[in-house]
Amino acid sequence: MASLVGVYASSHAPLIIRGWKDISLANQRELSSAMTELGRRIKAARPDVLIVISPDHWVNFFINNLPSICVGMGEMHEGPAEPWMKECPYKKIPGHPQLASHILQSAIEGDFEPSVSHHLTLDHGFCIPLWKGGLDPLPPIVPIIFNDLEPPLPSVRRCLQWGNMLAEAVRSYPEDLRVAILATGGLSHSIGEPTMGEIDEPFDRECIRYFQKGDERPLLEFLNDRLPTIGNGAAEIRNWVAAHGAAGKRGFDLIGYCNCPEVYVGCGFASWNLGARA
Amino acid sequence: MRDYWLSKLFFDLQSSPALGEEYRADRKKILDRYPLKPEALAAVESNDVAFLASRVNPYLLRFYFVVAGMPEKEFLAKVKTAGADAAARSSHG
Repeated sequence: MASLVGVYASSHAPLIIRGWKDISLANQRELSSAMTELGRRIKAARPDVLIVISPDHWVNFFINNLPSICVGMGEMHEGPAEPWMKECPYKKIPGHPQLASHILQSAIEGDFEPSVSHHLTLDHGFCIPLWKGGLDPLPPIVPIIFNDLEPPLPSVRRCLQWGNMLAEAVRSYPEDLRVAILATGGLSHSIGEPTMGEIDEPFDRECIRYFQKGDERPLLEFLNDRLPTIGNGAAEIRNWVAAHGAAGKRGFDLIGYCNCPEVYVGCGFASWNLGARA
Repeated sequence: MRDYWLSKLFFDLQSSPALGEEYRADRKKILDRYPLKPEALAAVESNDVAFLASRVNPYLLRFYFVVAGMPEKEFLAKVKTAGADAAARSSHG
């Protein structure tokens, strides 16, 4: 039987790559240290497969065909297409069609209706945390794209249920496999909106406290109440919620938080403690 | 509401660096390939961020102006003003 050996979350601000030299030394140090520690923890968990939940930033999908949630079951995925990601070492990224297929089957049996892709391009959302975490070579990746960008977005509640279902799918996978989950995106930021560049650190800190407390209902109420009032990038916290659901309400450990105006993002990095119930 | 062809133009431009380069060299040549409504075409030609912001996804809007070569500070200022204009319009019914 497969086991869930780690659950993680990480921001993926493009300017970490595209504008690194413009970031203050203090923030560079903070970001580097958090991303390195996140990578260290993932490596220490020795996953055979990594499920990565990220939005698609207009790379695979457009408004002529826009899935709410898409599972990538390709044998091989393409590395990032963004020209500014050309230094990224991942040109081709191996998939794990067997686990992806099992997740899809578990989803359908659990009354979820995911979209499917046999060939995805994994953009910066997927690749920045892996790259900067020093995961090279990469374990095979099962990418899951959540639509966090273009309304209507999946509900926060549904994302939590997706996380619960993912954990069950991992547990019921018949082969011996170590599986970890990484959710990427968030925390507060605003892209292409009048509030672009604004970071809501009080929101981020409060959000982190809800993850730390663990209880799902207050977390969902907080997010349902607050997400519509802040920048669009915070919608990606849906992915963190899925990770939270997968981790089963066990302890949340903040690796780092950096209010980093140079990258327009309140950057958060975390892992869930799967060892003991909080 | 989304303007489909405007969104498609922005999507295509940010998807293809070669197309982006072609666009910066000769906007008209690329714009002719898209069945844009006259008001959308005029907004693209005049870099009317406020008009465009109301018709495309904000991420696509941001990507488009990166491709189009608008300096970041100018884009930030224009998108902020666009928000203030929209708020003023909605408060006046």
